[in-house]
Amino acid sequence: MTYRWILPMALLLCVSTTAISVNYDLLRSQLRSSNSACLMLLRQLNGAPQRCPEDTMNFQVPEEIEQAQQFQKEDAALVIYEMLQHTLRIFRRNFASTGWNETIVENLLVKVHLQMDRLETNLEEIMEEESSTWGNTTILRLKKYYRRISQYLKAKKYSHCAWTVVQAEMLRNLAFLNALTDYLQN
Amino acid sequence: MLLSQNALAIRPLNLYPVVYISLLFGILHAVSVSPDESCISFNLTLRNFRLILSWELKNRSIVPTHYALSYTIMRPAGEMIVEDCINITRSFCDLTDEWDSMTETYVTTVVGTRGNTTLVNCWDRVFPALDTSLEPPEFEIVGFTNHINVIVEFPPVIPKMLVMKNLQTQLSLIIEEKSGSIVKLHRPKIDGNTTGNFTYVIDKLIPNTEYCVSVYLEPKEAEKIRRSPLKCTLLQPGQESESSESAKIGGIITVFLIAAVFTSTIITLRRIGYICLRNNYPKVLNFRNRSAWVFPELPPLEAVAIVKIIHINRKKKVWNYTYDDESDSDNEAVPPASAGGYTMHGLTGLCPASMSSASSEDCFNPDPEEPPLPQPGAESEPLMAPGPGPWQSECTDGAYERTGNLLQDPFPEEDSCSTEGSEDRIIFNVDLNSVCVSTLNDDDPEVPPVLSCIPEETVDLEDAEEVETSLLVAGGEGMQLPFPSPPVECLWPEDAPSEKSDTAESDVDIGDGYIMR
Repeated sequence: MTYRWILPMALLLCVSTTAISVNYDLLRSQLRSSNSACLMLLRQLNGAPQRCPEDTMNFQVPEEIEQAQQFQKEDAALVIYEMLQHTLRIFRRNFASTGWNETIVENLLVKVHLQMDRLETNLEEIMEEESSTWGNTTILRLKKYYRRISQYLKAKKYSHCAWTVVQAEMLRNLAFLNALTDYLQN
Repeated sequence: MLLSQNALAIRPLNLYPVVYISLLFGILHAVSVSPDESCISFNLTLRNFRLILSWELKNRSIVPTHYALSYTIMRPAGEMIVEDCINITRSFCDLTDEWDSMTETYVTTVVGTRGNTTLVNCWDRVFPALDTSLEPPEFEIVGFTNHINVIVEFPPVIPKMLVMKNLQTQLSLIIEEKSGSIVKLHRPKIDGNTTGNFTYVIDKLIPNTEYCVSVYLEPKEAEKIRRSPLKCTLLQPGQESESSESAKIGGIITVFLIAAVFTSTIITLRRIGYICLRNNYPKVLNFRNRSAWVFPELPPLEAVAIVKIIHINRKKKVWNYTYDDESDSDNEAVPPASAGGYTMHGLTGLCPASMSSASSEDCFNPDPEEPPLPQPGAESEPLMAPGPGPWQSECTDGAYERTGNLLQDPFPEEDSCSTEGSEDRIIFNVDLNSVCVSTLNDDDPEVPPVLSCIPEETVDLEDAEEVETSLLVAGGEGMQLPFPSPPVECLWPEDAPSEKSDTAESDVDIGDGYIMR
């Protein structure tokens, strides 16, 4: 009689644990699906074909992002959100010289924004519990990386070749982001 | 002279347009052979874990005889020439060892020539993460009783483009199992160290069932997959050596479990008393040792006296206590009193052959030397003949008769079992030491006399009119009275009814333990 409360508490714990585990798996599935679509849209942005060998640039993506090292799911979620946020900022700049289809660009921005919204619901809990310093360092490096891209575009005056180089770099970013979603597992 | 001078002046002027036009055509030609992205289409395929880049010119009228492939990336790295793909006649190139990143954009250039003439010079961007077509690997299946082994051929070294620094692969291996309409997907773990023949076991299959297997590689980014052709096998029952053995073992275990459960149930029921199983049989029911059967011995033959129970319906004769001679009548049931206060009663009856003479005398005979019926008050020797008073047991049969003439020696001398006797006279000698009597209680005539000296049997003093039954028990020693010998002070119980019927006239005088009548 005195242990009647144990069973309901155990059930509540199992349900809550199950609910939390379902969130990450569902988030991973949703992010991978949206990210694959973003890749296809970005790939369609060809415009006037130019090789632009003189405008090539090494923006120095953080090595932990390029090599997809082991991440905690909380850190992976933070990094993914930061990358999506900067991607959104870059493609909101002037791309008139590229001749890209604006509808495709708009669809790209909508999908990126949708991924960010899905991450925000989980990031509120992650930000409260996050105590790792590794995630903060990586985010700082990411900020510098995307600042270099923005400065490059500005320096090249948002030329077609500059956007061609940035387009190629953003394709790499989305591919890295796909690899990071593998760590969003329970 | 002037014409020749004019001809000489005109020739240099005519050459300038020619040169100009020639140069113009040359430039145009040069422009026509410059890398044109639209003139070629590339196809990147992963075949048997080899990265093969093939191309096709969009203008099929132009057919170069030789090709040269080169590439560059969007970072400052220069033009990279593939040495294995220079002056080749084939229209594909193996770039497994050249390209090391799936996420890099490769600007690839192909120059097609014929002889010394460059016919085409095309380029295009190739992004392997999206543009690679993953062909399914080669595999074999081996069917057993209840499982299938799937053997996938991996290369000795996995292309570096497919493996990241953490040995994770850029793609996944999928094994598809089909049985009828049921499809199951198996995702075996592979990494950069997976090489050679990779064997995966699909177990828990149903024997005597057809299964089909398909294998393919699933990229991370691309959604397009290419499945291999199905390879099917039928699991034969004859191959079920393992399953039959396991079935036998399972059956044996099941039988043991059932027996254990049954035994434990019986034991439990017996302990709780629901089942009472006796295994301690009485010895008499033990028939196992037939040789040890003990037949009960017959009891030794005992001398059994044959006794006849004679029921005599006789009215009880009221003793009027008169001793007149005229009273010798039928209604004289009262024997005359003896001189010493003894009552002479004659008791005749059967005597067993085994009886001794003494016992027979005790049974029947008074003292043969005793004078015939002394007068009342006279003393005489105690009579030895027993005779229960109230019930007046007689051992008579049809041959014997009572005699009323007590004075005439009712007891024959020669035989205590003499059958002589007068008509209604009952003469018997009573040994008061051997019988019990009780004193009459005059105060309460209703109180029945108590037989205090007859422990084995009580006397029911009832109405004299009732049938009197006597039982004479004969033993081996002679006739025995059913009652033990009472002490002297025990007196024969008088008939209560007789007392009742004759209370007014009866006069019991107890003197010296004898009844005086």
